[in-house]
Amino acid sequence: MDTFYLGLIVILYLLSISFLGYLGYKKTTSAKDYLIGGGNMNPIVMALSYGATFISASAIVGFGGAAAAYGMGLQWLCLLNMFMGVIVAFIIFGRPTRRLGVQFNATTFPQLLGRRYHSKTIQVLTGFVIFLCMPLYAAVVLKGGAVFIEQMFSIDFNVALLVFTLIIAAYVIAGGMKGVMYTDAMQATIMFVCMLFLLFSLYSTLGMGFTEANIALGNMGDLVPEKFRELGHEGWTSMPRTGSSQWYSLVTSLILGVGIGCLAQPQLAVRFMTVESTRQLNRGVFIGCLFLIVTVGAIYHAGALSNIFFYQTEGKVATEVVQDIDKIIPYFIDKSMPSWFSALFMLCILSASMSTMSALFHTMGAAVGADVYVPLTNKKRNSTKVIRLCVLVSIIVSYIICYVLPMNIIARGTSIFMGVCASTFLPAYFCALYWRKVTRRAAISSMWSGLLVSLFVLGFMHKAEAAPLGICKALFGKEVLVDVYPYYVIDPILYALPVSVIVIVVVTLFSRKK
Amino acid sequence: MFGIDDPGIWLPYLLAFICLFFSAWWGISRWNKDDKSDAFVKTEEEFNTDDE
Repeated sequence: MDTFYLGLIVILYLLSISFLGYLGYKKTTSAKDYLIGGGNMNPIVMALSYGATFISASAIVGFGGAAAAYGMGLQWLCLLNMFMGVIVAFIIFGRPTRRLGVQFNATTFPQLLGRRYHSKTIQVLTGFVIFLCMPLYAAVVLKGGAVFIEQMFSIDFNVALLVFTLIIAAYVIAGGMKGVMYTDAMQATIMFVCMLFLLFSLYSTLGMGFTEANIALGNMGDLVPEKFRELGHEGWTSMPRTGSSQWYSLVTSLILGVGIGCLAQPQLAVRFMTVESTRQLNRGVFIGCLFLIVTVGAIYHAGALSNIFFYQTEGKVATEVVQDIDKIIPYFIDKSMPSWFSALFMLCILSASMSTMSALFHTMGAAVGADVYVPLTNKKRNSTKVIRLCVLVSIIVSYIICYVLPMNIIARGTSIFMGVCASTFLPAYFCALYWRKVTRRAAISSMWSGLLVSLFVLGFMHKAEAAPLGICKALFGKEVLVDVYPYYVIDPILYALPVSVIVIVVVTLFSRKK
Repeated sequence: MFGIDDPGIWLPYLLAFICLFFSAWWGISRWNKDDKSDAFVKTEEEFNTDDE
């Protein structure tokens, strides 16, 4: 496809986004509209928006690349995304979340927790944690989108990043939640169609069927690079050796970190408050699952199978052809698919990135503008102007962080964010919905303990973050405090989440007795 | 199964399809049903607020 048609597709896409952003802007007349779309969004739009927010470019570019490196074991993540991210999230969490949201007139996730526990501290703390941790995830997602644009258009990364950020900023700041959800729904549709096409055309490119390709990939076990074999890699159709560092990385960081972490993500939880009734959440369950199995399932599967393509065409496996795992999928699409599809796939990645980014920017802006600013200044009402300004600040912060991110960060950054969210919010959030006797003190203690243990493990225990951060090295002269295997490869969520669960239970029982 | 020997790999594929069918059943069977508790919104006093 020549540059003219590529440009035309992008212009059409941007015009559609602008129109939907404008529609959101016109329909936004109050802070409630800006924060939760007035609480009466269409269930299909909500489910598509949920899915598109959930699946970022990092899920496609980063985890697709991780599947090329680690193999099909990553399909556990697809399963957990569906089971925990949609079935459990909608049925177990979504329904009571919507009810409590209505009961307490909450329009953000921190407000929901704060008002449920009758605690400004909880609302402000939740808002702060969101504003402190979410920019890392936002920056990771931004990088995913910009890397892809850089690769596809062969333009400078800095230009790609700047243009990308400005476009999202425009419709999030103007359109609020309605603008975000309308554009999300369109972007989800693009992602769905593209992934479906990718899956079918991949088999055509390989000249094999589903089972045949799996067998061919299984027969390539001997080609696993030595550096991965040492870490426990036993082939792309086998799980890593149990107990090996790759097994811990796959199981604890990627699968559990993201699979459980998705339950307590503020930008997802707030979507349950955008619909009018439970029946609309019930209708969304199937749409969400279908969306995830097609988008996430397809890209993880294609990522693993890319090894066959690279071996057929270049005589090497994916990680030998492209060193940076984050760049495997863009390179693979560029080489294996027809050029017109590469352009469409670019829209898919743009859509994935933009839908997640817009939700993150909106959530961060709301966290500061509605959940920190309003309680701390004792204002009576949310101000749309202030929230818009805070959205702008959060965009600038994320943009700056994007420049200091190291290579191969996309998949890891995602699991760090989700792990911290789960450890900090999940027990307090779950108990808010299901345990009437839980106390405010217990919720605050649980949130603090989950957050601090997560940060401690990230800084001093988990080698993947502690070593590059260098704090432990500076203070204690070694990269991690406990350098006995496997403690330094276990993801922080496995330390922090049990601690915050124990704390909320023990403190509740203790404070009630007292 | 599916040309894959390791159950650690084919199991998530199988379970993902089971999840998909379950979600279809859940959505269709409750297409027009609201939760009973939707009509009954708890009062704030039912929650524990006595510890500060």
